[in-house]
Amino acid sequence: MIAPFFDGSPALTAVPIGFAFGATLERAGLGSARTIADQLTGRDFTVVKVMFSCIVTAMLLVFWADRLGWLDLTRVALPTTDVLPQLAGSVLFGAGFALASLCPGTACVAAAVGARDGLVTIGGLFLGTLLTGELWPRLGGLAVHAVRDDARLPGDLGLSTGVVVALIVGAALLTFWIAGRIEGAGGRTEPGPRAPWQGPLATAAAVLALLAAATGSSRLPGLGQLQAIAGDVDHETDHVDALTLAQWIHDRHRHLRILDVRDGLAFDDYRIPGAEDVPVQQIPTLSIAASDTLVIYSDGGGHAAQAWMLLRLRGVPHAYILRDGLEAWEEDVLAPRVPFGADSATLARFASIKSLSAYFGGRPSTAPAILGVRDTTGSVAQSPPKRRKTC
Amino acid sequence: MTARARGYADPILAGVALGVLLFLTFLLVGRGLGASGAFASASAAAAHAVAPASTATHPYLSDYVPSGPAGLLGDWTVVELLAVAAGAWASARLARRAPVPLTSIAGESPRSRLVLALVGGSLMGAGARLAHGCTSGLGLTGGALLATGAWLFIPVAFGSAFLVAYLQRRLAGARR
Repeated sequence: MIAPFFDGSPALTAVPIGFAFGATLERAGLGSARTIADQLTGRDFTVVKVMFSCIVTAMLLVFWADRLGWLDLTRVALPTTDVLPQLAGSVLFGAGFALASLCPGTACVAAAVGARDGLVTIGGLFLGTLLTGELWPRLGGLAVHAVRDDARLPGDLGLSTGVVVALIVGAALLTFWIAGRIEGAGGRTEPGPRAPWQGPLATAAAVLALLAAATGSSRLPGLGQLQAIAGDVDHETDHVDALTLAQWIHDRHRHLRILDVRDGLAFDDYRIPGAEDVPVQQIPTLSIAASDTLVIYSDGGGHAAQAWMLLRLRGVPHAYILRDGLEAWEEDVLAPRVPFGADSATLARFASIKSLSAYFGGRPSTAPAILGVRDTTGSVAQSPPKRRKTC
Repeated sequence: MTARARGYADPILAGVALGVLLFLTFLLVGRGLGASGAFASASAAAAHAVAPASTATHPYLSDYVPSGPAGLLGDWTVVELLAVAAGAWASARLARRAPVPLTSIAGESPRSRLVLALVGGSLMGAGARLAHGCTSGLGLTGGALLATGAWLFIPVAFGSAFLVAYLQRRLAGARR
């Protein structure tokens, strides 16, 4: 089984993980606003050291777990990128960080160890969060500009993941070295002997980073990601049938997006209600939110399956192929028929299919014979309308 | 005073421990560590308790109102942050660190310390919403996952913090 192992329900995991997080922050001295104030005056580099070594450690572990197929990175929630709001937010956040000398996490630590300023910072956090949430609709482009939920540095810089990892490790080691020089020169830290673990730790990080840069020269997806995609196909969790899709549309499934990958003429001819016209060529750059549930269809399903594979390789988790494509939509939703010699259970089920079909302007038939295929206007066509077939 | 003299751990070792914890969180839960998200959920829940109708239809707050049967305690980050407080308290007790009722920072009177904490907290609350996260949820988590937004946030937020701290010192110096 490939990690992650649990879903996001907090019962099992949130308490031990949070406890360890809080204890580590306190142990590092980050529960004291003074540590952070000293960092911002450049006298003490605790904050920068903790953050940078945390990022480097987790980043190297993630890189190698992905490479070795232990972790399916597409199932790990990636923080959102939205450049303009994020720049504005970062400036505001940094200013508040300097004034309070605490951040949201360390404010909780400070409050827990009894500091009143920690508690007041938490009060301020609630105030700022609530006000911003309240004003959100009026902030316009300052709040939401161009949200990308799959933006990673390697893709945006055009470098392989391994090279980016190596560059960050290099920057961290350089920063630690400079921080040590400044702290030493400022006389605020007793020079002391170099701790014996420093050399080996830095060497290990550098070796793992250089290996990452060497192996990461190809931009192939990680083994874990490929195995997860293969598993979806094997377990048939890669598609939905036409009736399920019809039900989703009927129920106004909140994050549903339907992608029609046939050519534009076929799309103009007929499309599933609510579908977007997205040629396969646009799939690699299509803007997708993490919460989107995507259903892709073509005539039979060939192009849809190829588009699905592209989406999964892009790291989009919730993508489905419409099984048997538009043909299934026409047969199962627009013109459903009772099979010969149906029993009472089948007939009962057909009753609900009938109302669903009527919702889409279809004409369900209780006579088990071919009556005709629906066209877009909802009238019975005696011969199937000629659609431009692609794939 | 040095970090070590206060009985704190070496910052780099603490950071490595935090990095291992962050990796375990990715591995176990499929998400990272966070903090400001809990404030968003708790604020939305509070707004919902006071004004249910207008919050439920609010274009932003409604997204954060807890929907599960466990309410706010069904939110991973909320439970995690409560446990953060418990862990911090236990760690301080174990290290026999005496509680400091109010942090004293050079150049700040007790009253200005509290005012700055309130103003700073509000700015961080607003900033974290616009930036889609804070030092933990965006900086650490996004930094380790190479999210582009995180690598915008880290230098810009720290640049802004160093600048404001510098202006604050200049202002305090001018007053003296």
